[in-house]
Amino acid sequence: MTFDVHVVHDDPEVAPARRGSRAWRVLRRNPTFWFGATGVVCIVAAALFAPIITPHDPNIAFRREGLTAAGDPVGPSALFPLGTDELGRDYLSRLLHGARTSLTVGIVANFLATAIGLAVGSIAAFARTPRLRFGMVRGRSLEIPIPVENILMRTTDAVLSFPVLLLAIALVAIVGPSLGLVIVVIAAVLWTSTARIIHSRVVVIREADFIEAARAVGVAPIRILIRHILPHLVPIVAVYATLGIASTVLFEATLSFLGVGVPVPAASWGGMIFEHIGYYKSDPRVVVLPGLAIMLTILSFNLLGDALADAFDPFHWR
Amino acid sequence: MHNGSTRRRALSSVALIALVAGACQPAAPRLASPGTSAGGATPQSPPAGSSAAPATGAIPQGGTLSIAWASDLQHLDPAVMYDTVGISAVRTMFEAPLSYDLTSTKLVPLLATALPLISADGKTYTLTFRTGVKFVNEDGTVLREMTADDVVYSLNRVLDPNLKPTPSPVASAFFGNIVGAADVIGGKAKTASGIKMIDASTVEIDLVNADATFSNILATTFASVVPKEVAGEDTAAFDAKPVGTGPYLLKSYTKGQQATFVANKSYWRAGQPYLNEIDFKVGVDDNAAIQQIEAGTLDLMGDTLPSGSFTQITTDPATKDQVVHHGLVDTQYLWMDTAQPDSGPLSKVAVRQAIEYAIDKDNILKIVHGAGTRAECIFPTDLPAFDPACHPYSFDVPKAKQMLTDAGYSDGFRTTLYTDTTDPDPKVAAALQQDLAAIGITADVVTQSFDTFLTTIQTPHAAPMGYVGWYQDYPDPSDFIDPILSCASAVKGGANQAWYCNKQVDAQAAAARGEVDSSKRLSEYQAIQNQIMTDAPWVPLYFQEHYTLVGKRVGGFTIHPVYLYSLRDVYIKPGS
Repeated sequence: MTFDVHVVHDDPEVAPARRGSRAWRVLRRNPTFWFGATGVVCIVAAALFAPIITPHDPNIAFRREGLTAAGDPVGPSALFPLGTDELGRDYLSRLLHGARTSLTVGIVANFLATAIGLAVGSIAAFARTPRLRFGMVRGRSLEIPIPVENILMRTTDAVLSFPVLLLAIALVAIVGPSLGLVIVVIAAVLWTSTARIIHSRVVVIREADFIEAARAVGVAPIRILIRHILPHLVPIVAVYATLGIASTVLFEATLSFLGVGVPVPAASWGGMIFEHIGYYKSDPRVVVLPGLAIMLTILSFNLLGDALADAFDPFHWR
Repeated sequence: MHNGSTRRRALSSVALIALVAGACQPAAPRLASPGTSAGGATPQSPPAGSSAAPATGAIPQGGTLSIAWASDLQHLDPAVMYDTVGISAVRTMFEAPLSYDLTSTKLVPLLATALPLISADGKTYTLTFRTGVKFVNEDGTVLREMTADDVVYSLNRVLDPNLKPTPSPVASAFFGNIVGAADVIGGKAKTASGIKMIDASTVEIDLVNADATFSNILATTFASVVPKEVAGEDTAAFDAKPVGTGPYLLKSYTKGQQATFVANKSYWRAGQPYLNEIDFKVGVDDNAAIQQIEAGTLDLMGDTLPSGSFTQITTDPATKDQVVHHGLVDTQYLWMDTAQPDSGPLSKVAVRQAIEYAIDKDNILKIVHGAGTRAECIFPTDLPAFDPACHPYSFDVPKAKQMLTDAGYSDGFRTTLYTDTTDPDPKVAAALQQDLAAIGITADVVTQSFDTFLTTIQTPHAAPMGYVGWYQDYPDPSDFIDPILSCASAVKGGANQAWYCNKQVDAQAAAARGEVDSSKRLSEYQAIQNQIMTDAPWVPLYFQEHYTLVGKRVGGFTIHPVYLYSLRDVYIKPGS
């Protein structure tokens, strides 16, 4: 995606708003947006209203009706619309509550990751290498350069080069699994790509004339950053945050599949696949359903993210 | 000791349990009842590996057998081998003075010519050995004939504290009762004075105290006879280059992949070995193993059938005749920390008794697909001393709630329940979690990899509750008390997860162990069992049954109550 900085920044106070309405015109005509948005709305609704619309408590095992005489999950029936799991719990209820887990992790972890990435990326690019001045020494001012940009971006590179999954597994193994930890772990490893992208954007924006102008009239750096730079990052953050939810949901599923995710008995799609992987031949339903749920969620968020990216792309405005 | 599943019994940390009296050996399945092995797999049972030589010609010879395991071999040196995968391998290469009948726990002579002569006071065992038994090198050449001197050496070697990298995990637990053994273990003597060579084929063993179980010890793989000039103090070297008297020889071993055993052409027993080669494939996923057995590219799998395919395999007409199952002499149980620090709720006997009433054992048995028998007390059904009258608790949730309220926990409490990742353990833990929730106890389930789990449960009071199993080392009730429910075992690195210590039970157990009158002895053990059940350190859940899938061309396959798979008795059916 290319950004025509000069077009965008003709009028910094107005451009983002105008771009928003242009974006909406593009979005409206894009079927990808409607597919993605519908999917996301459905999944969010499922997660929000899970306690109301689920037929059963997801953690209650139906020891007689929910298991066959041989101790296997039962298939779909009036009582259990999508059958039960290996402990005799209603599968539909668990899938819907699994949406809560996935979206909680997806949204919260991704919000944290985006916030960290935004802060690190924009501060690094905007601060560059500030010099700390310590008054006059023998007639010369003592200035110590602080390579903020280098420190922050090299740290980002370092985190980016970790084997992410191993790091996550190690952390969970040390601290013990919990929903909070899964969120922290995911946020701790996924902020880096956002930081990189934001950094490269701000590097471009910081050279723009209107920033120079703001400096010239004495606007405080922090105000420049918040008032004049951040608004220009909204589209890119929106796009990457949306796409990020997809990868976060997948990451949570992976952790749960590896048995280091959300602790039992909480329902999690990855965990549901993990628990039932041995049934792949005898009862594929218990593996396929959570797999489908993961796939649809990721697809929806990806479509939405792509549509947003297209809409914010200046070349689409014409 | 072993835990909840038959699959990952391979212990990397066996050394930790060396201190535990009679620490348990891997899965020791037992014959549930006559004819439990499914028809197709055992059309014709070969003679017991340890009984009279088979009528040659009855058993087809030749062929290569392949067997898959999820875990790798840990050791091939019988002095230190203490895991499920290893026991099957070691028994193809090594032989002990005694053995068990092919399908039961009846002791029979193997390298000895007869069962030991035991003196009237029960303290002196005299063994006479076969002549013509040869140690055979890896390349198939004969090293030399075995003599009584090798037996003396081998028993002293197990006691040797200088074995590298670690001494035998059972030195004191199994052999410490031999006169002079303590001095060897303590490094004060090189040989135990109680192990004596009388002549070239006779060995006498003197015990400090009469011990009714000592013949069983002589049938463990730890008592295997090894040649002095090859087996030294370096067990790792002997692991790599094992030389024994058994029907098969180690040809090659690639760690993490495969061990290949070939026929010993100079084996002392006529008509054996039956196979040309046995291939151990390790690190194989259970589901992959099942597929390969169905496809005919694999003959046996060491692990029990996984949950997901259990019903399909056991009911599908194409595979159900290939399923072989036997009960194991084991107890799967929920332990509770009887000495929970800071007077925690589980340290109160009334709370533990309440939990005894709260567990729906039938449900647990159902979710493990009925692979076992409901357990009421400690001793499994096929252990001598099993007591059908022992039934102290029933499933009664209102009563459990009431007892918990009476104990001062009307609002319940929060605790942690540990288990390991091996199927079906997390499932069982989830069911236990629900049962506890029904009486107001919130149990957070922590699922750990098997190695981590072992460390946790061997750390004092690290795990207030958990789900685990104990498998016999030899068929005697002492093996279900001394190593896991005695004060001596309630130590760091021990296997007493309940940290249960009742001095009165300890005294009773010491007396029962030395009792020579067997019926009196068993009733003493039953009294001990009743006392322990009243103290409620465990909720016994079920006695597990081992289910496995056997390839169509395999003959003579049985699951042994102590040895699990006796591969030396397996053959390939002709025409396959």
